[in-house]
Amino acid sequence: MSWLGIIVTFALVDNVVLARLLGLCPCAGAPRTFRVILGVGICTTVLMAMSSLAAWALETLFLDPRDLGFLRIPCFVLALALLALLLESMALRISPALLRAAGFSVRGVAVNCATLGVVLLVTLERLSALESLLAGLSAGCGFLLALTLMSAIRERLDAERVPRSLRGLPLSLVSAGLVALAFSAFDRVFLANLLGR
Amino acid sequence: MKHAEGFSKGLFRENPVAALLLGLCPAAAVTGRVIDALWMSAGFLAVLLLSSLCLSLLGALSPAAARDGGAGLSRGRWIGSLVITACLASCFDLLLRAFAPGASARLGIYAPLVAVNCIVLGRVELAAGGLSIGRSLRDAAGTGAGFAGALLLVSVVREALGAGTITLFPIGTFGGSLAVPLLAASPARAFVYATGGLLCLGYLAGASRLLSSERRRGESDRA
Repeated sequence: MSWLGIIVTFALVDNVVLARLLGLCPCAGAPRTFRVILGVGICTTVLMAMSSLAAWALETLFLDPRDLGFLRIPCFVLALALLALLLESMALRISPALLRAAGFSVRGVAVNCATLGVVLLVTLERLSALESLLAGLSAGCGFLLALTLMSAIRERLDAERVPRSLRGLPLSLVSAGLVALAFSAFDRVFLANLLGR
Repeated sequence: MKHAEGFSKGLFRENPVAALLLGLCPAAAVTGRVIDALWMSAGFLAVLLLSSLCLSLLGALSPAAARDGGAGLSRGRWIGSLVITACLASCFDLLLRAFAPGASARLGIYAPLVAVNCIVLGRVELAAGGLSIGRSLRDAAGTGAGFAGALLLVSVVREALGAGTITLFPIGTFGGSLAVPLLAASPARAFVYATGGLLCLGYLAGASRLLSSERRRGESDRA
């Protein structure tokens, strides 16, 4: 796959949230303020890129040569957890006040369906090291895009009069469904046309 | 009586998918066909029960002292718990691949992803809170059953509307697939895709809230 193909595939066509339906919990309960969204999004993006690279290294250097494919999931989860702890201690060193103000835990943001799902999707494609890194980065950007969209929609909906039982999360899910319908325009045909093949 | 109450709480009032909106990813992603939802529920229930058991045993071995400064679990214990759930989910994935290759291909990455499901990760925190083994297992059974019920409901609605069929196991002369009259001729295809999953879950959550507010009103009227 070409570099552009990888970016478009992982950010739009295979968007983690809207096409693969992973990481719905953080998105449906999307945070209100842009600063928190940016924090969560950047954390996730960095982690997805690092863990995709780590998964590539584990896969090609450790699991494949020794024929240990059955250990793949525990290995990936372990790598993800260690990276999350690394990221947490880095974030604590850089700006503990910001982390506290933002009100999210790096661990909770880091280890969820979205991050492990991206790692598994990237390893399925059998990319090279740099391509894996790029794929993880673009998937993270796709996640950030979905998070921003959902939070903006939620802000608009909060001002509307809606039935009480649908207010908040249920309506977020329904509108996510409609956004997913719009995102289904980014499909394999779109990709083939874009790349001229 | 009390045991039954702990179980039914997870099934209805605190249904993980409909009321608490946890574990939405598999609930939205694998409910396009009833049979996939059934496989997923079975695997999920097994992983949830076994991980509750293992984690509360782990908790009994190393009691609450393992917390660091009130900031949740200690690092070592957090990683250990994650590896335990990952191994269990991996077992589910491998067993599925060995005995039901078709279902395994359709569930794809969602089978191993049970390892980091919000509900399963919630058990990690719960076990750290020092819940007894019996209570933890009872809660897990209720939550798992609630998850399975919600998945079944969503998948029946989605497959009937989106494909006009209900796919189950083939038994004897029964081919495994029921056609829904009227809908089979012109199904609304969007319901089997991502869109349908999110829409159905949204309305399910809304309905569950409506029901619980009605019930609360009924209780306050009686009082």
